[in-house]
Amino acid sequence: MFLKLALRNIAAYKKRTIVTLLLTTITTGLLVFSTAWMDGSHQTMIKNAVEIYPGHIQITGKDFREKPSFDNLIFEAAIIQEKLSQIDGINYFASRFESFVLFSADEKAVGGMLTGIEPEQEKYLSRLASSLLKGEYLTQGDTNQVYIGHEFAKRLKIDLGDEVAFVGNGADYSFAADNLTVKGIFQTGLYGFDAGSAFIAKKYFDQIMAAENYATHFIVLPKRTEKAEELAVEISRVIGPDYQSASWNQIMADLVKAMQLDSLFGYITLGVIFIVIFFVIMIYTLLTVFARIHEIGILRAIGTTPQQILAMLLLESSLLALISVIIGGLIGGYFAYYFQLNPIVFSGYEEQFKQYGLAVSAMPTAFAPLVIFRDMLVMFVLSVLSTLYPIIKINQYRPVEAMRHV
Amino acid sequence: MFKTTFKIAWASLVRRRTRSVLLILMIAVSLWGLLFMEGIYDGMTEQMINNAIRSDSGHLSLFGEGYRLDPDLSKWVMDIDALDTFLASDTRVKSHVMRLKQDGLVATAHYSRGVAIFGVNLDEEEKHGKMAGYLHRGEFSFGKRDRGAIIGFKLAEKLQVRIGSKIILSAQDSQGEVSAAALKVIGILKTNNMSLDENAVFMSGKRMRKLLTAKDGVSQIAVILYDELNIPELQGDLKKEFPHLDVQRWDELYPALLQSRIMMEGFNLVTNLLIFCVAALGIFGVMLVSVLERLREFGIMLAIGTRFSQVSTIIFTESFCLGFIGFCLGSLIGFVTLYYFKINGLDLSVFSDAFEEFGMDAVTYAIIRPSYFIMALAAVFLATFFSVLFPLRILKKTKPIDAINTI
Repeated sequence: MFLKLALRNIAAYKKRTIVTLLLTTITTGLLVFSTAWMDGSHQTMIKNAVEIYPGHIQITGKDFREKPSFDNLIFEAAIIQEKLSQIDGINYFASRFESFVLFSADEKAVGGMLTGIEPEQEKYLSRLASSLLKGEYLTQGDTNQVYIGHEFAKRLKIDLGDEVAFVGNGADYSFAADNLTVKGIFQTGLYGFDAGSAFIAKKYFDQIMAAENYATHFIVLPKRTEKAEELAVEISRVIGPDYQSASWNQIMADLVKAMQLDSLFGYITLGVIFIVIFFVIMIYTLLTVFARIHEIGILRAIGTTPQQILAMLLLESSLLALISVIIGGLIGGYFAYYFQLNPIVFSGYEEQFKQYGLAVSAMPTAFAPLVIFRDMLVMFVLSVLSTLYPIIKINQYRPVEAMRHV
Repeated sequence: MFKTTFKIAWASLVRRRTRSVLLILMIAVSLWGLLFMEGIYDGMTEQMINNAIRSDSGHLSLFGEGYRLDPDLSKWVMDIDALDTFLASDTRVKSHVMRLKQDGLVATAHYSRGVAIFGVNLDEEEKHGKMAGYLHRGEFSFGKRDRGAIIGFKLAEKLQVRIGSKIILSAQDSQGEVSAAALKVIGILKTNNMSLDENAVFMSGKRMRKLLTAKDGVSQIAVILYDELNIPELQGDLKKEFPHLDVQRWDELYPALLQSRIMMEGFNLVTNLLIFCVAALGIFGVMLVSVLERLREFGIMLAIGTRFSQVSTIIFTESFCLGFIGFCLGSLIGFVTLYYFKINGLDLSVFSDAFEEFGMDAVTYAIIRPSYFIMALAAVFLATFFSVLFPLRILKKTKPIDAINTI
């Protein structure tokens, strides 16, 4: 009975129906797409930042992350290695030894990071190998051969086959120096990284830096990357309190927070737009409901209770909201899905992305049905709420008042 | 005459009180939100730009030819005197400073990393870009006998150094040899210019000359002007006067910041448009209904000899009244809000780590530009104007007799 009446009324008051439908649909679509866009771009940025070099899980000496000095190294790399190989959820892992040294080529001396890596495993842990620009990537048995960032090589004015010397501290604080030959040049697109990093095979590195069985980091790639946090906790338990195991959201807490901040601003903007939109919906509901004040007065006069009228009007607005939320959700969801498959490319904004340390210009949206459903629900509630005030207000009139209202 | 029109218009607005109040509230709230967003977002971008200008690029920066591609001592600017005289005598120039810069390595007892070493004169820097305002900890000085250093706060974090810690700087000197100096950290800077916070060590210019065995020349001259509008002109003049120098505007040195500003402007425009389109729809609905329900009333007015132009004036007046009151209310609360945040700043320190990541200040001081209000006023009037056109057309098509006879 109510449903029939409500449907009839929806059909009868076309203007309100169209405006409400249109606005709620657009709003829902906008929200769904914006959320997908924000989540997607943030996930991409973080994924990129994680995968280029830092890795999903880092294991370090207990205080190394706070005090990255050689006093807080992993001094028993072999034991860690053995323990890690027993954990089930790990796909790949490898050790690294990072140190800052002064590089010097023919006429240039520049400070930078020299890291000993295990080339074979490192292939799976970071994008180093796949970022090869010229020459070759490292192999396990390499000696004094260096794999260097493109911008870094440019700063030092060296190219493939050239020699570069370095001076630095060994793990025992002794003086360490050697001549290296450029074997390969890489470019990840992350400017700061490409302009200050060089890599050599860890076996050889350990000899010159007196770092045998030492490491600054172990990098772990989980079998299921979304379970990185749980895995990091499990690793912590296995390797004991002398070491620290942190997942990417701890390692890159700043970036994660920055993304949250970006979302916050996004939601503020959307919020302002939504407030205006729901004001308009409220106004239109007010207009139509008051246009029907005679009808409602008569209904009341012939014995319809205020509750019944409330139910009828609410049913009308709920139906409208439901239809538009579904359409809007489908539209927004479609765009979210489409742009997930065909990422939006920002070719003009690489400079800005670079400044934030992001080596991507293509941003896919995140198509997540659950999130879309949440957004639709929010919009439904808001849409119905915004019609509440006019509906309650009209119910406060007495039947005679309503019928005589001009 | 207009008084009567206004009276009629006002009376009909008051008659539908709920509706009028809702509409005014809608306009006011949307305006308030818009003004708030514009002021805060602009404040953020301008602060970022301002930080870069004060701490590094100035409005214009001069480098030796080819220095930016290959920052080598041999490419420094040598004829400083002529440049100094030119800049000092130019009335557009507010201040200029000369800086030395060389890439090198900073080491503590436990840790070392690559840095950019700057040789500066602190008094000049303070006059130029109020650099002391960026001091995060410690003192803004190089100590007695110039043996101190001021370093970026991120660098300090990474090096694990505090005020009073000793650091060793090494860099290549003019002879191609690596030379080193031991300095004490006296101050820590937080400029929110990421490249400086992460990489910069400031030391006394004099001392740096000794370290690098570089008697003459500077690597960068940063110029700040009184009026931003004169930047391109002065750039042209400098290029003509010193053809062998590389003269760069701040936005050429920090293209990302200019992009942020353009992006923000575009973003503001789009939100403005979106909000006013929706708001116009709201006004349209109210005006349409208010004309339709008074068709009979207007019919009678027309029948007793009121001209159509007079009737339409009444309707326009109603619409403009609503728009104008909404605008005034919105502008007022918008202005008060922005003024509050202009003085006290919007403190988002909860997210300070995140702001650091973006290279922004955690406290944003809003900007209030007259253009916000002018734009909004224009938009409100356009919205009120266009939303009345369609109802008027309906009214025009209706014959007075029909209008009176309906119902």
